[in-house]
Amino acid sequence: MFDLILQATYSGLLSGGSYALIALGLALVFGTMRVINLAHGEFVLLAAYIAYTVESQMGWNPLLALPISVVVVCITAAIVYLLVTRLDKNREMNSLILTFGLGVILTNLVLFIWKADIHSTSVGWFQEAVVLGPLYSMRSELLFFITSVVMVAILWVWLDKSWYGRAVRAVSSNRDAAKLMGINPHVTELISFLIAGILASFSGVALYCASVIQPALGNALTIKAFIITILAGIGSIPGVLIGAVLLGVSEALTITLLSSALQELTGMLLLLFVLLALPNGLFGRAGRRG
Amino acid sequence: MKIRFLLPVLAVVYLAIPYLWGGNNYVMSLLVAAFIIAGVALAWALLANLGGMVSFGHSAFFGVGAYLSALLCINYRLPVLAGILMGGIGAAVASIAMLPALRLRGPYFALAVLAYANIFKILAMEFKGITEGAAGVTNIPALPTVMGFDFSSKLGTYLVIVTIVLLFTGSYHLIRVSHYGAALKAMHDSEDATRVVGVNSTLLKAMMLFVSAFMTGVVGAVNAHYINFIDPDYAFDLGWTLLPMVAVVFGGYRTLMGPLVGAVGIFMLDQLVFKALIGTGHQIMLGAVLAVMVLFSPDGLVPLIGDKWKRIRRAQA
Amino acid sequence: MLKLESINVQFGGLAALQDVSMEIDSEDVVGLVGPNGAGKTTLFNVISGLVRPSGGRVLFNGIDVLRKPLYARARMGIGRTFQIPQPMHELTVRENLLVAQRFGTGSVNQSKIDEILDFVRLSDKSDRDAATELALTELKALEVAKALAIQPKLLLLDEVLAGLETGGKRQFIQMLSDLHRQFGIGILIIEHDIETISSLCKRVCVLNFGELIADGAAEAVFNNPEVIKSYTGESGA
Repeated sequence: MFDLILQATYSGLLSGGSYALIALGLALVFGTMRVINLAHGEFVLLAAYIAYTVESQMGWNPLLALPISVVVVCITAAIVYLLVTRLDKNREMNSLILTFGLGVILTNLVLFIWKADIHSTSVGWFQEAVVLGPLYSMRSELLFFITSVVMVAILWVWLDKSWYGRAVRAVSSNRDAAKLMGINPHVTELISFLIAGILASFSGVALYCASVIQPALGNALTIKAFIITILAGIGSIPGVLIGAVLLGVSEALTITLLSSALQELTGMLLLLFVLLALPNGLFGRAGRRG
Repeated sequence: MKIRFLLPVLAVVYLAIPYLWGGNNYVMSLLVAAFIIAGVALAWALLANLGGMVSFGHSAFFGVGAYLSALLCINYRLPVLAGILMGGIGAAVASIAMLPALRLRGPYFALAVLAYANIFKILAMEFKGITEGAAGVTNIPALPTVMGFDFSSKLGTYLVIVTIVLLFTGSYHLIRVSHYGAALKAMHDSEDATRVVGVNSTLLKAMMLFVSAFMTGVVGAVNAHYINFIDPDYAFDLGWTLLPMVAVVFGGYRTLMGPLVGAVGIFMLDQLVFKALIGTGHQIMLGAVLAVMVLFSPDGLVPLIGDKWKRIRRAQA
Repeated sequence: MLKLESINVQFGGLAALQDVSMEIDSEDVVGLVGPNGAGKTTLFNVISGLVRPSGGRVLFNGIDVLRKPLYARARMGIGRTFQIPQPMHELTVRENLLVAQRFGTGSVNQSKIDEILDFVRLSDKSDRDAATELALTELKALEVAKALAIQPKLLLLDEVLAGLETGGKRQFIQMLSDLHRQFGIGILIIEHDIETISSLCKRVCVLNFGELIADGAAEAVFNNPEVIKSYTGESGA
């Protein structure tokens, strides 16, 4: 029993790490624009399908799809950004409906191009086991986790040290004050969308290598990312990491101790608990949610 | 609604359409499906327009209504019409679980309700003893035959759903012109101001949520008895939120007729044009309609709780 | 340097500013007074770009800035503070100033930052988190420092003394009186306390119900019967 729980915690930690990579993009855009991009999961999905195409059509290793997916997803992200900025009235609410619609478009575009079949990588290397003492995982899962950790670290340093990173933090913390300091918020918003696109590209390619993909997945990914963003509270990167791991571990424990069908329920209950009981998330500043 | 509008509408709906297409099962089945969407769209618009809340979770009410009515009729031999009523009441009761979300602001409410909808779906999937789980509920009793007229036929179901939707439209109208409607309108202008004069805004919002849930539950129940089979994936499908939302955004949510016209229009477009032209992935057009309307229609969802609307209203006052 | 030409602002049917015209020179330290709701902060919002007037022109060094967004005006040299301090959270005090300097002026000059920190007496607090680790007086000082970091030509100070206790207030008044001398910039100050205004500003403008009812030497303005009436009639301040 203890072994099972230990293994579940380990698996949860690994999948939590990969959730973090997906959620960070959503959280970053949410921070700078106060817009919940409901098409974010579809960004990831798009990258995953590009990886599939590169593998199945060209016979290359799916990891080589990264540059292409970064370009395609970033262009998509920029288009979504431009459309969102066209909303000038009640942007908070209407952006939700707009990005929801854009998500539906992207999902169906994927369905249209790649059909509804389920795909996973046929590169055997990814599926091989990595055994660490009593703990077991696939190579691809570990790779996904390590990629997440590295990307998060890079993002962290960028936000902390670079001028535009600071500008992103400034805009997400106090939009008007940042403008009065001479910061053009549109530039920082676009940057945050592009970074979300880059993170989504890495996530998508890694997702394809580590798991199975299908068109309906985009929506589920967005919901997970949203749950983590709310768990974390606005503008907290460490919060996103911890929230992601919390979600991953709770899901894994639910699967081990209860039933795999209840996995999704865990996240939903966590979300409701935080929304209703912790007004600022686990780590966020005073938000304005109520 | 003015009487001079009402009479022609009634004539078209109850006389002209049955006379022209009553025998054509294909047209009738399209209309039934369109009015089912219209019923949910109306309920959704009521919550958005009067309650000021955008919901991503109406599929929860639709599914609860469908399941409750189906199971009561199968297991407790409840008459179908009583089952449908119970379906609506059950959905309203289920919405009690969402009351804590009422204090959340717009987007958070929308997404909290989405979470609720997912939870309901999982519960329907997991409580196999009651719901049959993923296998779904089969042999749901059809609508009854009354005085020799078979309401389970396409034409019969059409008359039932049209009557229900018109009754809902009437109720919506009555709520809107009542002092509750006035209070809700004032609430959009300034929630604090209405609180000061003694309007309990949370209670008002809760009532709109109940009404909206009840309506959606009834429509879900009718649909269950119409198609005689439901499973969690179908009854709690996100489509039951998406399609009505598109319909409302398309038709305009502030008028009574907007959701109805939008629902029939968008459903026909989807079924007859998009599906024929595109086939798999035809929902892409629904996404496109949603995006384009939000972006370009000044009178779609744009003024919802919007500052501009407030300003216009103040200027008119 | 700053020239306002018949500025009009409407909120709903209400006129918040009516036909307000004034000029401020780079040598000026001008007090802006008037009862609550007279439109003082609205005027700041018009100048800095938060509110677009329904009529009139705002010229800054001869350029019409009305169509320019906030950040562009900041880069041109219009700095302002808010009555309720608006620090950028999650950034340290120094980072707040660095960001302001980098994006407001386009370049970074650490010694200039040190000078500002020293001037507002925040040197020893420079690594504190701006949101959570500062007292009100320090937040107000940071508010002024941020505005200084963009190297403004014109500084709009919105009730920087409000809410401070006597000791902090005295210190702040001293700082404000050094401000013009040390940084050589034009300053427009909103302040309720007439004594403070008289000690800081040679020239005073009075707004009442959105109208500019007086503009001139402080002594003359405060002895103007209309001004006295507006004060005693409205707030008794």
